[in-house]
Amino acid sequence: MEREREMREIVRVRGLHAGYDEEEILHDISLTALAGDVTVILGASGCGKTTLLKHLIRLYVPSRGSIELFGREITTMDEPEFDELLQQVGVLFQNGALLNSISVAENVAIPLEQHTTLPPELIARLVHTKLRLVEMDQALDKRPAELSGGMRKRAALARAIILDPPLLFCDEPSAGLDPTTSAGLDYLLLKLRDELGMSMVIVTHVVASIKRIADRCIFMDQGEVLFSGTLKEAESSGLEKIERFFREG
Amino acid sequence: MLRIVLTGDTLSLAGVLSREEAGRALTDIRGRLAASAPGRMHLDLSGLERIDSAGVAMIDQLRQELQARGLEAELTRVPAQVSEALKLFSAPAAPAPTPQVRESLFYRVGDAAVKAAHTAWIMLYLIADTLYFAVVGLFNRRGIRKGEFINQSILIGVNALPIVALISFLIGFILALQSAAQLRQFGAAIYVADLIAIAMTREMGPLITAILFAGRSGSAIAAELATMGVTEETDALRSMGLNPTRYVLVPKFYAITLTMPLLTVLSIIIGIGGAMVIGYSYLGIGPKPFYQEVMTVLFFRDILTGLIKSVVFAWIIALVGAYYGFSARGGSEDVGRVTTAAVVASIFWVILADSLLGLVFYFGQGLEY
Ligand SMILES: Nc1ncnc2c1ncn2[C@@H]1O[C@H](COP(=O)(O)OP(=O)(O)OP(=O)(O)O)[C@@H](O)[C@H]1O
Ligand SMILES: [Mg+2]
Repeated sequence: MEREREMREIVRVRGLHAGYDEEEILHDISLTALAGDVTVILGASGCGKTTLLKHLIRLYVPSRGSIELFGREITTMDEPEFDELLQQVGVLFQNGALLNSISVAENVAIPLEQHTTLPPELIARLVHTKLRLVEMDQALDKRPAELSGGMRKRAALARAIILDPPLLFCDEPSAGLDPTTSAGLDYLLLKLRDELGMSMVIVTHVVASIKRIADRCIFMDQGEVLFSGTLKEAESSGLEKIERFFREG
Repeated sequence: MLRIVLTGDTLSLAGVLSREEAGRALTDIRGRLAASAPGRMHLDLSGLERIDSAGVAMIDQLRQELQARGLEAELTRVPAQVSEALKLFSAPAAPAPTPQVRESLFYRVGDAAVKAAHTAWIMLYLIADTLYFAVVGLFNRRGIRKGEFINQSILIGVNALPIVALISFLIGFILALQSAAQLRQFGAAIYVADLIAIAMTREMGPLITAILFAGRSGSAIAAELATMGVTEETDALRSMGLNPTRYVLVPKFYAITLTMPLLTVLSIIIGIGGAMVIGYSYLGIGPKPFYQEVMTVLFFRDILTGLIKSVVFAWIIALVGAYYGFSARGGSEDVGRVTTAAVVASIFWVILADSLLGLVFYFGQGLEY
């Protein structure tokens, strides 16, 4: 039983201390996300969710602690090995982070052009497929600057899942979307989970969305993990902050 | 690994069809089916263990290509897991890119003319706005950030001091060296002083300073305003009831109007100093006679010419930088484009203005000037 759980740990963080320059933002974070699950990270604005996510993909190096993805320690991994591993990981940034100088389709094609040997006609087809999944196939040739905030988010999600990564990190995928589109996006994420077995770590504040997608949730507060467990456990945890979150969110 | 077997009218795929295999498999199958006659055929997927979105795209592409040749390919014996992926990722053909339409010559000429007129119109607006707020700002400090004028004077003026001084010295030095070689042949070495004094004061001083300012400050103004536009900062200012021209540009406008003439004077003095070094070391003219010669040839109106030019140049640099900065549209890549454009355009306009002012002063003073 214990062993089986260990096998399923796709993200495992132990005793993580991290921040920017001098300032420590994350104090002693420990958490796990299981393979095939949607793990939601929630918490008040500014509590360090984005910071945590950026450390999970090694954009910053923690001052202390260990981070394992797919059971492999990434903090000490060398560059080429980590680049290899990153192909198994899709990332959706909080503001989309599309490259502004090229079209939406070209943005989505970047990982395919860099990491595969697919011929152009298949690349075009894949780009179209993924943009259709996020209902953005009408905007193929548009520049990111010509899109609305929510459209940028969706195009960026298409880019994040273009390589069918087994592990997906999303920073507030439904921020800036209307409830209907947001729900559509949630169902897409669930489909990706169920049909491709994609594991996801998703930062979000939207309670409706959490209720739809979360298998497990991790509640952060001021750089610490306040609670982690299933959604049901969270709702009946007896912790004032969490109950208020679900009541008022 | 993907195994491809063709028997009769059945093509079977077995193993893993993923993005590592898809490209190669497509070429392979195209080769095998190149000679097939139109009709019906089967794609047997029963042996597929795994398929990803690239694999689905490959199957879609293949079926579309076959269909174009009248060959209907039917999927048979699809495993449950593969069928899920097919449902999720299967897509109608990607739309063909819209072809670029080439406009006629007349259209393009007309279009360019309309754009030029539009540019001139916007520029006029900007000039009017800036001058208006600059004058208003002298009496009413509202809508301008406190301390911004001092701040900008330091950024634009004081920080440019070393580079202006260095370049001016070198230009004075080189000009003197080149002309000394010629004038010495006629025993007219002392006229190096006249030459450099006039050249630095009327032309080189203002021009060197302006070109350095265009590179340092014109670009900075354009880049800052462009970035502000791209990140919606200008919109935010407007929403708080602040005019971006007044809030951001006017302090810079004051600063450059004040510091550029000052640095021009510095440039003139240091340039003449550079010439003095050549006079002393190469022509044997001491600093004192050199200074006296300079003073006999320079009149107040020469200094005034230089100062008027430097103010005009300053305004050109600030306004051209602002025009390009405000014109940035779209994303971050546009910031680089307008910054470059601002520098090139402001240097061009400075030199054009220099020529025009030269003519004005020349004919305005009579020919003895
Ligand atoms: N690049 C940075 N340099 C320094 N400090 C930063 C940086 N980015 C974020 N911080 C600080 O780190 C803390 C956590 O920020 P973070 O972006 O992780 O919050 P968050 O939980 O994602 O908030 P939100 O829900 O608003 O996105 C904040 O106090 C912020 O000021
Ligand atoms: Mg965040």
